[in-house]
This record gives sequence, structure tokens and C-alpha cells, in this order.
Amino acid sequence: MKTYIQVFLTFARNSLVRDLSFRTNFLLQCVTSISWAIMNWAFFKIIFAQGKNIAIGKGTGWTENEFFIFLGTVWIINAIVQTFFMPNAQEFSELIRTGNLDFALLKPIDTQFLVSFPRLNWASLANFFLGIVVVVFYANALMHDAVNPLSLSVFQVLSYIVFIGAGVVIMYSVMISLAATSVWLGRNQNLYMIWFYLTNFYRYPMEIYQRGVIGWGLWGFFSFVVPVLVVANVPARTLAQPLRESGGNRWENWLILLLFTMALVSLWVSRRVFRWALSSYRSASS
Amino acid sequence: MSIIELNDLCKTYKVYQKKEGLRQSVAGLFRREYRDVNAVRGVNLKVEEGEFVAFLGPNGAGKTTTLKLLSGVINPTSGEAKVMGFVPWKRDNDYRRQFALVMGQKNQLWWDLPAQESFRLHQHIYQIPANQFQKTQDELTELLDVKRLLNQPVRELSLGERMKMELIAALLHSPRVLFLDEPTIGLDVVAQHNIQQFLKYYQQERKITILLTSHYMQDIEALCERVVIIAAGTIQYDGSLRGILNRFSNVKRVTFQLAEGQSFEALDRFAPIEELQEPKVQFRVPRSDVPKLLSGMLDAKRVVDVTVEDPPLEEIIAELFTQAAKNQKDSSPEWLGGN
Repeated sequence: MKTYIQVFLTFARNSLVRDLSFRTNFLLQCVTSISWAIMNWAFFKIIFAQGKNIAIGKGTGWTENEFFIFLGTVWIINAIVQTFFMPNAQEFSELIRTGNLDFALLKPIDTQFLVSFPRLNWASLANFFLGIVVVVFYANALMHDAVNPLSLSVFQVLSYIVFIGAGVVIMYSVMISLAATSVWLGRNQNLYMIWFYLTNFYRYPMEIYQRGVIGWGLWGFFSFVVPVLVVANVPARTLAQPLRESGGNRWENWLILLLFTMALVSLWVSRRVFRWALSSYRSASS
Repeated sequence: MSIIELNDLCKTYKVYQKKEGLRQSVAGLFRREYRDVNAVRGVNLKVEEGEFVAFLGPNGAGKTTTLKLLSGVINPTSGEAKVMGFVPWKRDNDYRRQFALVMGQKNQLWWDLPAQESFRLHQHIYQIPANQFQKTQDELTELLDVKRLLNQPVRELSLGERMKMELIAALLHSPRVLFLDEPTIGLDVVAQHNIQQFLKYYQQERKITILLTSHYMQDIEALCERVVIIAAGTIQYDGSLRGILNRFSNVKRVTFQLAEGQSFEALDRFAPIEELQEPKVQFRVPRSDVPKLLSGMLDAKRVVDVTVEDPPLEEIIAELFTQAAKNQKDSSPEWLGGN
């Protein structure tokens, strides 16, 4: 275990040294991701300003402030994924294509670990902090709500953090499994696109899917097959408690169970897929 | 027990056969033709601890594939291999801590960072104690004369310097077995020589087992007692470098330097002339004809100097490769249609 921590810290350190040696690039990346987040926030602000009729929250139980906690949570998770996993998943595809995965296979350490963490994109962490600011700001607003104030315990805040952790595990597993398919596809430049399409569905409260055949179909698929829907939903509703007025939702606890089950299952599946991919790996010309 | 043992090792790749033209490319989306490439077919080999063995062979002979199989990077199609008692493709951590692979065409160091950072990463991955790490690194950087370059980003190093760093990275954990795949490719003569010297010294000092592939005859002449010639996926020869001459070459080059005033006419009555450059004449004759040629020439001409040599090794090996390629073509693999 000590080895793994040391190796991880060395990766983190080396990536930071590397990122900082390209100073302008680093700053630009920070600015870009922060600008994206602000535009994202402004977009929903405008939607909510249109009146409740077209609001995301209509009929779903999520009010404006609650929804922004959800949004902040999505930013936090996205930032973690983009800092730790995105560059590595892309690099992993590239390692397979060029045959440089050879070197990872030589090392006396778990190969999945070794290809999952070598590059950390520190600039993406900007949104992580911005997400925290948003979540804290809107949680505070909800706690001072005149009509229906929110009460938060330390336990709930801790749960929120643990749930985010479990959500991140799911995102990691989906991503590394997708990247591993490069072994069979030879080239997988679609990775980013597929990822983008999939994660588009996790950015909204699950209530918006719970209507009609297509909606429920999507809900089922993204809850049980590619379980990205629970990733942001479970932590966000723990904190924002959108349905507290009506006495909560009876499947709240089931969702938590689903989150942890899916985190374990998807991690296990990702390891199977990874090993399977390695056994089909054929390296590339010298 | 031998430190490396290969029994009937085979590796077959299935290769997609891409045809020319747009129409064929579109057709290829629906129906693909594959061809079996037998990169390694039935290799048997035993290497004892402390040996320095060269793998020699034309491009595509199966040298690199064999090294990759031995490193556990790829799985074989059939056959067995054991290195230090481990089956390589099981990728046991205990095995991986004891060997290293260096590939001249690929680099494992972090491109944008100084080599020092990559070395430190290796220290943690291989769990090398700090004092031992420092000692080994000092020793290796001194031997290869790259100490001053440790803090320079790898991308700013020359190819030769980078190769030295790659070697250091591979040797930090003091492997017992080292696989070198064309470690001197693309290097100038001086850099090549440096690396040869280093490898020679290091191997003798540490008594480690090294398998080397190279296209440079100098590398092999300088380093290896034992040469394994591999072509068309099978071993064609296994023995000493000099042994190749005895086994595959039946001819000698005999050069005479004639005294001044001697006529150079009609010399070809003695033997076929390979080169004539007055006052020297060179013949190429079967080994058994050498005495006859010598006595004939010495009787007929005033000779100042005589040398009898083997033809250059490159020439013999090139012939061997051509022959092997021909044999392979004759037994070319069958085509497999469809998916």
C-alpha cells in the first residue's frame, strides 16, 4: 500500500512540475474551465429567470437553489474526473496504439493502477474549488430560506463527501472500461465523444427522466447498465434535500444502496474488462 | 537449471489485410480478410546465467517478438518459456522485479521532465531503498558520463544521451536478466562505442544475463560470445560468432602483393579474381584450394606479401538471411478469408 501511495504522490508531483513548466498553457486551461463553469451557471440562471414554467425544477421538486447545489456537485465530480482520469484514459488509448503499454506491463506493480494515474491535469482542479464555492453558497442560501429552511448535520456533510467518492469510482470505472476497448478497436478517438454523450445524462436530477416510456427507459439504462445517474444525484440530494417539504422520497435510501452497489460492481467490471483487454494486447512494432 | 528456457515457443498474429483503393476499403468495412503472420514459430533455446547472447536476424525475423514474450508483454500462441523459474506472461511481481527490457525505438522516460524524476518514480515502483538507489544511480551516471544531464528535460537530450538514461532507468533495480532490443539503433559511432563499453563492463562486473538484439555487427562482435541467428521465426544457428564462418562459409579471400615489375596478366588461370588493384590481387577460392593457389602463385611470381582471410561476417550473414527469406517464401502461410 505504501508503494502505491508513494507512486501516486510521485505521479502527482511530476505532473505538477510538468504542468507548471508550461506556465501559459496551465493558466489558459484554468481560465477556460472556469469560464465554462460560469457560462454553465449563467445558462441555468437565465432558465430559472424565465419563470417556473420552463424551469428544470418544474414537477421534479427541485427549486432553483437546490438545483444549483446539484450543479455544483456535478462540477466537483467533473473536475475530479478531468484532473485524475481523463488525461490518463486518453493516454491509455494512445499507449495501446503505439505499443508503449509494454513499459507499464514490465513494472512490478498493478498495471491498472499504473496506467490510471500517471498524468494529473492539475489545471482542471480549478472547477473543483469553484464547485465547492457554489455548493457552499447555495446550501447557505437554503439554510436561510424564509419558508422552508434546510437543516444540515455534520453527518450529512460527511455523507455527501463519501457519496461523491462512490460516484467518482463509478465514473472512473466507466471511463477506464471505455479506454480499454482500444485494444480491440486499434484506435479509439471516439472516447471523448462517447464520454461526453454518456455524461450528458448525469448532469440533471433523475426526476426529469421519470416520465414516459423513453424517459423511464433512459432512467433504467443509466441507473443499472451504465450507472452514471446515481453519481451526482445521490450526493446532491443528500445535501439539497429537494423533497424535504413533502416528507422526502421513499426511495432515497434505496438510491444510496444503489450507489454503493453500482460503485462496487462497476469497479469489479472495470478490472475484468481491463484484464481481458491486456490478454488481447499485442503490442506494436518495435 | 538454465536461467532462460524456451520450448517450442510460437506466436502468431492475425493481421488485417488492407487492400488498395477506396472500393476495397469500403468493402473492408463489411468483410475483412486476415492473414496469419507466424512471427515466432517453434523457438527452442537455453541460456545459462551470466551469458551475453546476441539475437541476430533480418527485420521481421521474430527477435523483438521473442523478447516481448520473454518480458511477458504479450502471450504466446503455444509453447513454453521460463525465465528464472517464472512463466513470463503470468507477470508475477517477483519476476518483474528481477528483469528489465530496454527498447532502442521506444522511450519510457517522461518526455517533458528531467530523467531524475523518472528515476525517482522507478525507485518507488521497484521499492529500492533510498541509499541503494542513490548509490546505483551515482555509479551508473558516472559510468555513462551523464551526471550533469540528470536535471535536463529528456526532450532536450540527444538520442545518445537519452539512450544512456533509458539504460540507467532499466538498471536502477539491479536486474538479474536484461533484454536489450536494438539499444544502439540510430546512434553515431562514438555513442555506440560508449554503450558497448558500458554494457561489456557492467555485464562482466555484475555477471547478469543479457539477451541483445542488434543489426550492428560491431555490437555483437564487441559483446557476445554466443550468437543466435533467428530468421523466419526459427533459430537458424546457435553458437559462437566465429563458428558462423566455419559453418556457413567455405571460401577464403587470398590477397597477394606482387613485387615491382611483375606482370598482372592472365592471373585468372590460378583462380577467379575478386579484385585487382596493382600491386595487389585478391582471389576468392574454396578453402580446400588455398594451398594449391599459394604454391602456384609463389612459384610463378615474386610475392612480397600474402594474406588469407575469411570473407566479412556481414556478407555471410546477409547470405544466410536471404536464404532464410527464400525458404520462408516457399512455405508461405495460407490465406484466411472473411472474419
